Amino acid sequence: MAKWIKIAGGVVVLAAIGAGGWAYSALNTSRSSVADDSVTLAKFTSSDAEAIKRGEYVMRMGDCAACHTREDGDFAGGYEIATPFGTLVSSNITPDTDTGIGNMTEKDFFNAVRQGIGSHGMLYPAMPYTAYAKFTDQDMHDLWAYMSTVKPVKHDVDENGGMSFPFNIRLAMAGWDMLFFKNEGFTPDSSQSEAWNRGKYIVDGGGHCSACHSPRNFLSAEKESAYLQGGSLGDWYAPDLTSNPHVGLGNTSAEDIASYLTTGSDGVAVAAGPMAEAVEHSLQYLTTDDAMAVATYLKSIPASATKPGTAPKMSDSETARLADVYEVNCSACHGLNGEGISGMVPAFAGNHGLLGDDATNLVHAMLKGARAAHTHTAQTAAGMPSFAWKMDDKDIAEILTYVRNSWGNSAAPVSADQVGAMRAALDARDQIKVAD
Amino acid sequence: MNRREALFSLGSMAAAGGLASSAKAAELHGVPAQTALSADNMPTPARRGGAFQVLTDDTDRATVKAVFDRLIPSDELGPSASEAGCLEFLDDQLAGDYGSGKALYLEGPLRPENEEAIMGSPQFLSTPRERYNTGLKALEAYAQKTDGAAFSALSPDRIDAILTDLEAGKLDLGKDVNGQAFFELMLQNVREGYLADPMYGGNKDMAGWKMIGFPGARYDYRPYVDRHDQDLSLTPVSIIPSN
Repeated sequence: MAKWIKIAGGVVVLAAIGAGGWAYSALNTSRSSVADDSVTLAKFTSSDAEAIKRGEYVMRMGDCAACHTREDGDFAGGYEIATPFGTLVSSNITPDTDTGIGNMTEKDFFNAVRQGIGSHGMLYPAMPYTAYAKFTDQDMHDLWAYMSTVKPVKHDVDENGGMSFPFNIRLAMAGWDMLFFKNEGFTPDSSQSEAWNRGKYIVDGGGHCSACHSPRNFLSAEKESAYLQGGSLGDWYAPDLTSNPHVGLGNTSAEDIASYLTTGSDGVAVAAGPMAEAVEHSLQYLTTDDAMAVATYLKSIPASATKPGTAPKMSDSETARLADVYEVNCSACHGLNGEGISGMVPAFAGNHGLLGDDATNLVHAMLKGARAAHTHTAQTAAGMPSFAWKMDDKDIAEILTYVRNSWGNSAAPVSADQVGAMRAALDARDQIKVAD
Repeated sequence: MNRREALFSLGSMAAAGGLASSAKAAELHGVPAQTALSADNMPTPARRGGAFQVLTDDTDRATVKAVFDRLIPSDELGPSASEAGCLEFLDDQLAGDYGSGKALYLEGPLRPENEEAIMGSPQFLSTPRERYNTGLKALEAYAQKTDGAAFSALSPDRIDAILTDLEAGKLDLGKDVNGQAFFELMLQNVREGYLADPMYGGNKDMAGWKMIGFPGARYDYRPYVDRHDQDLSLTPVSIIPSN
């Protein structure tokens, strides 16, 4: 029954395309006419060293390697992305003519990166062309020059073989684009500073921050009304980046945000999980000016309406018991007063990214452990061990509730059921069972 | 191939392997993202519930209980060894790798005068499980012969006298049992059972730790290093906290 409805829904999406969607501006490729349409990537090697260098910077900013580089070689694809509609595999974007993008012209490349129109048909919006649409022509020309220096790798990828019907039909994405894709470049706001505009260009364009930090609707499109107010990635949670003082960046200075982006820590929070990857592969390469520009723009985003969670009532004896559990298990690194170790181990006191209603990151770290970002300036990459073997669901829920409500923090309690569900989802081991 | 040749060929294999593997050594970049302990590094708890697995004979069990409870009797300082779960601890250990001597070299030849001189302690070809089996039977036989009663039925003073002689090497339990070494084995195991983490079956309610004032598996003592000559009132903590 449920499947039947899904199929019917897909047919509706397809029908929408038939109803004249082609003419819709989402698929208008006139923006790409500034690019050359005669020489393919396989036959082109840029000799403009400056353009190649700038293009590498654009590649870092866009974090292309995050998805396109796995064990099969630089930019050779093969990264599996789980979506609610099946598994997608990232494509080979090396200049190989058989399995990569060697047959693309610069114009084809512009169409693919900025509009999601690829050489095998429509791209899926797991590729953030929705954000890359903002790339300037100059950045695209430079990126093209950089890609011409990439070594061709023969690696065949079936990008959408793991998608379920009707989502395995690339044409369906034309319908998706019609509904959700804004086919337009970046328009500076002349009433704002240059830094602000540069920051917004990075955040909304190459940085594609909202890909994770904005919530998505049932068809995986970002909800504009909740722009950068936090989004769930299933296993992890990308926190609120607005100026919300309870769960966002309201109490973090622009300088500290810039430091977080380039080192992995602002002295309170420490990047781990997918954010550690974003810092390692992309954000640490931002120039100081660009990192400050991003921070300037983020600080200007009005606070979301999210209120602090309702703290549970804990008796004095319960608080004292959990204080001892905290001292025994957590304090050696996170500090007796939740102060952490600056730049290395996250603090709990005043770490607003951990205080939202969604405690996924804390539960994940407890069950599977976590690793801090490893950057040029912060090389320790301290490890959080897994406590799955040592604590049961209730133990973990209690200690997380404690840290979320101590040292001035206030947040909703974490439930044992939530920990149990994540233990199963992450395939974390059970607590060691001891005889009574 | 005799043993000497086997050892030599092992040596050359290791040398060859060393060369080959250094030439192929993988280059690691960055740091591994995973931080979870591998299963090999997990502590193995005592088996949950059920009957004794090794100490299945009632007389054997009564004998070892009688010995353990004289080594650590119940008094104002704490419970006795058996009350603190030391029999369950011992049985679980004897049922596992410790009991089967997995970490011991148990092949011949054994010339005790040579090996004991080198090692400075008695050497055996038998496993701890076998040594308990023969040792407990020999103790019971000794009691029946000298006192006409079961070892476990003897008075505390009489048991103390036997154990004192055993410890001093003055008591002959027959050619199959080194009495002095068996006494030391039991003393070592009862201490382990009384003081090891409760997850291993003994030290019930952390009675052993409470007795000696050990605060348990705490990670960090920096808050306390400067507090000398004070009662820190620390509650002991087991490795697995909720139990």
